[in-house]
Amino acid sequence: MSESIEQPPPVSTALRLHRQLVAIWATGPGLQRLAAVNHSVIGLRMMITSFTFFAIGGVLGMLTRVQLATPNAAFMDAETYNQVFTMHGSMMLFLFAIPMVESFAVYLTPKILGTRDFAFPRLTAYGYWCYLFGATILTVSLLAGVAPNGGWFMYTPLSSNVYTPGVNADVWLLGVTFVEISALSLAMEIVVSILKMRAPGMSLDRMPIFAWYILVTAMMMIVAFPPLILGSILLEIERAFGLPFFDPTRGGDALLWQHLFWLFGHPDVYIIFLPMAAVLSTIIPVFANRALVGYRAIVVAIIALAFLSFGIWVHHMFTVGIPHLALAFFSAGSAIVAVPTAVQIFAWLATLAHGKPRWDLPMLYVFGFFFVFVLGGLTGVMLAIVPFDWQAHDTYFVVAHMHYVVGGALAFPMLAGLYYWLPLLTGRTAVQRLSTLAFWLVFIGFNMTFFMMHLTGLLGMPRRIYTYHGDEAWNGLNLLSSVGGFIMTIGFALVVIDLVVQVRYGRRVRRDPWRAPTLEWAMPIPPQAYAFASIPHVGAETDRAAGQIALSLARGEGYLGFARNGWQETLGVHMTTGKPDQLIVLPQPTYLPLVTALVTAVAVLALLFKLYLLSLAAVLVIAGLFVFAAQRSGHARDYGPMPVGRGISVPPHTEVAGAPPFLALICTLIADGTLFTSLLFGTFYLWIAAPNWPGSVAPDPSRALALGAAAALALAAVAARKSLRALASGRHAQGWVGLGMLALLAAIVMVARLIAGVMPHPSDHALGATAAALLGYVAVHAGIGLLFLVSNTLRLRAGFVSQRRLLDMRLTRLWLDYTLVTGVIALVLVLALPTLVNLLGGRA
Amino acid sequence: VSAARQPHGANSARRGAAQRPHSPPGPPASGDHAGTRAVPPRLLWWLAAGFGVWCSALVFLYALHAIGCVFAWRPGTLRLTLALVFLAHVLVAAWIWRNAAKSVPDAAFGQTGNFVHTAVVWTAIAAVVATIVTFGPPLLLATCI
Repeated sequence: MSESIEQPPPVSTALRLHRQLVAIWATGPGLQRLAAVNHSVIGLRMMITSFTFFAIGGVLGMLTRVQLATPNAAFMDAETYNQVFTMHGSMMLFLFAIPMVESFAVYLTPKILGTRDFAFPRLTAYGYWCYLFGATILTVSLLAGVAPNGGWFMYTPLSSNVYTPGVNADVWLLGVTFVEISALSLAMEIVVSILKMRAPGMSLDRMPIFAWYILVTAMMMIVAFPPLILGSILLEIERAFGLPFFDPTRGGDALLWQHLFWLFGHPDVYIIFLPMAAVLSTIIPVFANRALVGYRAIVVAIIALAFLSFGIWVHHMFTVGIPHLALAFFSAGSAIVAVPTAVQIFAWLATLAHGKPRWDLPMLYVFGFFFVFVLGGLTGVMLAIVPFDWQAHDTYFVVAHMHYVVGGALAFPMLAGLYYWLPLLTGRTAVQRLSTLAFWLVFIGFNMTFFMMHLTGLLGMPRRIYTYHGDEAWNGLNLLSSVGGFIMTIGFALVVIDLVVQVRYGRRVRRDPWRAPTLEWAMPIPPQAYAFASIPHVGAETDRAAGQIALSLARGEGYLGFARNGWQETLGVHMTTGKPDQLIVLPQPTYLPLVTALVTAVAVLALLFKLYLLSLAAVLVIAGLFVFAAQRSGHARDYGPMPVGRGISVPPHTEVAGAPPFLALICTLIADGTLFTSLLFGTFYLWIAAPNWPGSVAPDPSRALALGAAAALALAAVAARKSLRALASGRHAQGWVGLGMLALLAAIVMVARLIAGVMPHPSDHALGATAAALLGYVAVHAGIGLLFLVSNTLRLRAGFVSQRRLLDMRLTRLWLDYTLVTGVIALVLVLALPTLVNLLGGRA
Repeated sequence: VSAARQPHGANSARRGAAQRPHSPPGPPASGDHAGTRAVPPRLLWWLAAGFGVWCSALVFLYALHAIGCVFAWRPGTLRLTLALVFLAHVLVAAWIWRNAAKSVPDAAFGQTGNFVHTAVVWTAIAAVVATIVTFGPPLLLATCI
């Protein structure tokens, strides 16, 4: 690394522009920091928060190792141990791994894309606060002695009311769902931003490989999280209101939880791995001093990996009694998922082999990754083979494998990335000797801890036992494992010390110290709130040296190199070509995300303490806050094309068809559709697999009400289309909006009456519970449709919607179309339930 | 010297030896290489088409197998039904591959069109192979044990 001092821009234009942009973009001091919405601020906060939970989770892990170091240890009793290991797993997965990879994405993605911020800064901030509050609820429960104690995947029936009567499981279900709302909102934000907010000229084929990885990961999150959110909602409803989705004595099935959990859980491994692979694919070419080998092959591999990872969830359930033929689908899928992973590993190795590698600190961690991840991958292929899995299932072999793939895939690239981008964050470089020692301690400690677990597992040690007798031949291996754990912890402590030392005393470095080709280095370090004083054009001109382009951008010679109206401006581009097509004006700092997240926390806590009316009231307030937030978005008048620099003029995003909110709603509906599909899957699964079907009472839904509800939803959808057409042709739309509201109200009333008449009663049999859940889904969506229409009315009156600014109406149309389609499917299924039940009767 | 402000390795296959270290292949000297027409975003759905068929095969085969076992279909009937569903999916996936491979990317789409075309063809190939390997051999196993 170079050690020269950053030179200030020599031109006063740059300084003047810097001051103007800081005045617009910067977060205020003191309490105003709570209003921050900037991706750099939120990304950094998220990183620090996730590392804090990593430290807490790590301490919990160490406590388990203390307990297991010797046989018959009295350090913890069984209940405490259950809470500690459950919280260790839950924290590491939900409060550290996912948020940490997201924090990397939040902090780096806009910079690497050459844009100034994400598309929805308030959503970024809301996501962060939700994460912080949800994680805090989980952590406080540990201090209160009521932490979750059923294992990090919270299997039913152990987590059902009968076996976990306290609030322990509720804390997990509500806290984790809270955190997942955060993850989902950030995922949508990331997808939209990568597709629509790159630097002009950055066509898809020129997009940095980092962005491809993050794009695919975010898309995976949008599809992977809803099944678990649905599972958590259903289990919480069972625990709170007695609807027996997972209770086999009343027509439910405990295995349904496992399916819903692992539909999320397995892709989650890749959701953690892919962003870290993005880090590796970014770092390795820089240190190999050549371009990444196989850019296109890697893009194909990550797309393949994304799909394959969704089709192998049952390999976590090989021992539950599924027929061999079906198991073989998942076994084969689990084996071939190694192929796209291997494509990436060979691409990295080829890059190193064909380049002129230089050895620096991040490369140590890259080496650590290769060693650990390949080992974990090999044991993964072993566990994909059904007969082997039957032997090793629920033993420490699986614990070892999981730590090698998740720990190895996460920890080593994470630290490589941290050391690589620290000069960007801090403007300073690491103290090499301390860092190297820290690496070796982490590496040796990691392998000592987890390699031994392969052996204890093969010797038959079950996972999750809190002690053992001492005559099982596990003693020495467990002791070594615990010693390794402490060595690893010392290593991580040294990393922390190293980081603190760097921030305080590290040598200052110049911009782009690694001579990297990505755009995040073409800005002052540490980065300013506006990221780029002007936005670069990716093309021949960006082939110039980093210093040259950075200074040119600082002088405002790119796009938007000026301040206008106090607006936070950035550019929207065509999805494939990267050609500028809209001017996006982003919202400025606001307390709204914090307030909304606080009210969300009230809703969650009220559910936890069984104050259901308070929770309902909080949900209504949240809905009101979202409508309120929408009132302040966009422009109250038409602007037409506006100059954005370099002789180009584009319209504001409120006046174009492909605005980010439209894409965001599509992402939302994909997530929502996945949740709905999971609900359909749950219904059919219970129909086909649950014991005690059919129940003693036959369902008899009212066809008139169901048809009426479907007709009302159709009328609302038609009214939305008519209102859009009316506005587009310059006529008034209020009448159609009002008609839509009436239709939705009618639909809600009819669906509520259907729910009230569900037979068997939803708390008596899963048949009634699933019917109520399907109908509830329709009612909730009609209710949200109503909010859309209320917002339309307010914004029409305030002048935010016009013949040219039709975005609001287009969003409403899309939502109501979706509500109609899912509503009809749900209602038809409810009407078909009697026939399905009769089919089962025929089978009997 | 820093390298270009471009992605790592984009279009690396065409990178010449004369280029700077770790500099990805750049656009033509004139700058923009996006072509005269924009690649329609809807074409990106084809990136998911092949593996969409793979997902569909998984869902239908798994569901049909469960239904067949629950309703005690005869093993021969169940296996034949599964085989037909499998074959239908292989044919659709293969059609996507053939369709993508035989089409020539529109020159007006420039290098971006070329890139999308290559990625679509190779994801389709990967999907066909994955469909055959994942769902073919298991159909030889005992049906409902």
